[in-house]
Amino acid sequence: MNRRNFLKWGWGSAGLVALVSAMGVSMAAVLRFLMPSVFYEPPQAFKIGTPGDFPFGPPTFLVDEKVFVFHDREKGFSVASAVCTHLGCTVNHFSSDQKFHCPCHGSVFAADGTVQHGPAPRALDWFEVTEARDGQLRVDKNKTVPPTYRLMV
Amino acid sequence: MNLIREIYQSIVRRDPLSTDKGKSELVFLNVWLHIHPAKVKREHMKFTHTFYLGFITFFLFVILVTTGIALMCYYRPYPPAAYQDMKDLQFVVFMGPFLRAMHRWSAHAMVVCVFLHMCRVFYTGSYKKPRQFNWVVGVVLLLLTLGLSFTGYLLPWDQLAYWAITVGTNIGSYAPLVGGQLRELLLGGHTVGEAALLRFYVLHVAVLPVAVLLLTAVHLWRVRKDGGLSRPLWKLQTVKKEQLVTIGAPQETAPLLVQPAVATKTYGLMEVVTGKPIFETIAPEEEEDAVFSFPYAFVREALALMATVTAIMTISILFHAPLEELANPAKTPNPAKAPWYFLGLQELVSHSALLGGVVAPALMVLALLAIPYIDRNPSRQLTTRKWALGLFTAFVVVNLVLIVVGTFFRGPGWALVPPWVHVVGGAE
Repeated sequence: MNRRNFLKWGWGSAGLVALVSAMGVSMAAVLRFLMPSVFYEPPQAFKIGTPGDFPFGPPTFLVDEKVFVFHDREKGFSVASAVCTHLGCTVNHFSSDQKFHCPCHGSVFAADGTVQHGPAPRALDWFEVTEARDGQLRVDKNKTVPPTYRLMV
Repeated sequence: MNLIREIYQSIVRRDPLSTDKGKSELVFLNVWLHIHPAKVKREHMKFTHTFYLGFITFFLFVILVTTGIALMCYYRPYPPAAYQDMKDLQFVVFMGPFLRAMHRWSAHAMVVCVFLHMCRVFYTGSYKKPRQFNWVVGVVLLLLTLGLSFTGYLLPWDQLAYWAITVGTNIGSYAPLVGGQLRELLLGGHTVGEAALLRFYVLHVAVLPVAVLLLTAVHLWRVRKDGGLSRPLWKLQTVKKEQLVTIGAPQETAPLLVQPAVATKTYGLMEVVTGKPIFETIAPEEEEDAVFSFPYAFVREALALMATVTAIMTISILFHAPLEELANPAKTPNPAKAPWYFLGLQELVSHSALLGGVVAPALMVLALLAIPYIDRNPSRQLTTRKWALGLFTAFVVVNLVLIVVGTFFRGPGWALVPPWVHVVGGAE
């Protein structure tokens, strides 16, 4: 390779690298721009009220938070996700068979959230529930817990 | 009087349409018409060759753009105003329900016509060399059409829209590695909400229509550059090898036959460009089969346009576009269904989310894109394409069956319920 060719190829490949990296950085910047920095969505951790607000027996469904709050006389509180693990439809809890039924594709979840029937790939999530300082119950959707988790108040 | 003539002649520069030169110039001096050839073969205008499906699809797109712009004047893309505007369009705006119905039914019709157009091109073998790439462009246009329909589906912000998009975007999130992030990018959030509505609106009214417009230009341009419409199947067997004239460099097997000039001939060969031709070789007798685009082709196109508009208007008078109650994230309707053209997908997803929702559709799209490059058989005759025809027909039938099952045979809880059985109440 002579000097002329070396310079030609050298400048050429340097230019190509510069062009490709500039385009790569621009694409990454565009993608980052499209990914919101702030989500104006309901918070993942929230207070749901005092223990007395929740009756024993059938679970209370919280519409905005999409969770079921179970209050058992002996065992205490537990909170289950109402979002089907299949395609995100809101499941219904039937008191008749103590199971969760998804209306979209017929998935059925047992009382502890495990899949019994249908295409759902995994069990329903259970969320950590704690007692806040002001005596209210606090649910954190970022923290999943085993279905045996209970909060005694 | 002279001034008027001068103005007219500054706009219209062609010769009178009574002459052949005028008829040619009408086409190639006009920016809108010059996508046509000046002369077309009679056989290409036969309805049973193409069923005019490409034209009809394009006309539906034009209807969609015009009605869509009209609807934009009364639509605010954020909840719950979006739904209130739908109610306004339904009850307050003059001709609102009619325009909305036209937009909706044209969208459905466009999905159908794009698909039928693809079937026609496949069955006539028109994707074969030299038209392989135009098939690929066509498949991308099919995907863009589905994308337009899907993004438009959310805009009314009613229960139907909300849950169709929730289910539809969750199918996408099963894609390995990037699925969840793709969904977040598309929705601008973790659930279908305010940000998702705005993003779908931007895609629906700006990004996707422009993409369709640009690719349609490429698609039509390539139809011309690839040698015009493919020859109808019934014409194929009549061409004998020794009768062929090759444009460009003559080959040994196909000697150049020179057409004797006739008195009525008003055009000639301007230049000879060497190199291998991309066109199918042309049989000399076909020149006599060609007629001027004006008026023969244009009249037929105008008829197709009128028929399309009339059909859509009639349907829109008879059937209104559906509008359910305001979107309610807490209450999933039972059953919740995606738009009908995705119900085949939803049916697959009801059996396995990853296989049915990601692997199968991805393979389907890849196979569609690759068809002209996989199918090495140069023949367009139906009798020599048994494998290709069988596979494609299986693809069409499987898709149709899945869509029909998903649409008509799935009841509450996605249970198998025949359409003639009435479910009272459903599971609650």
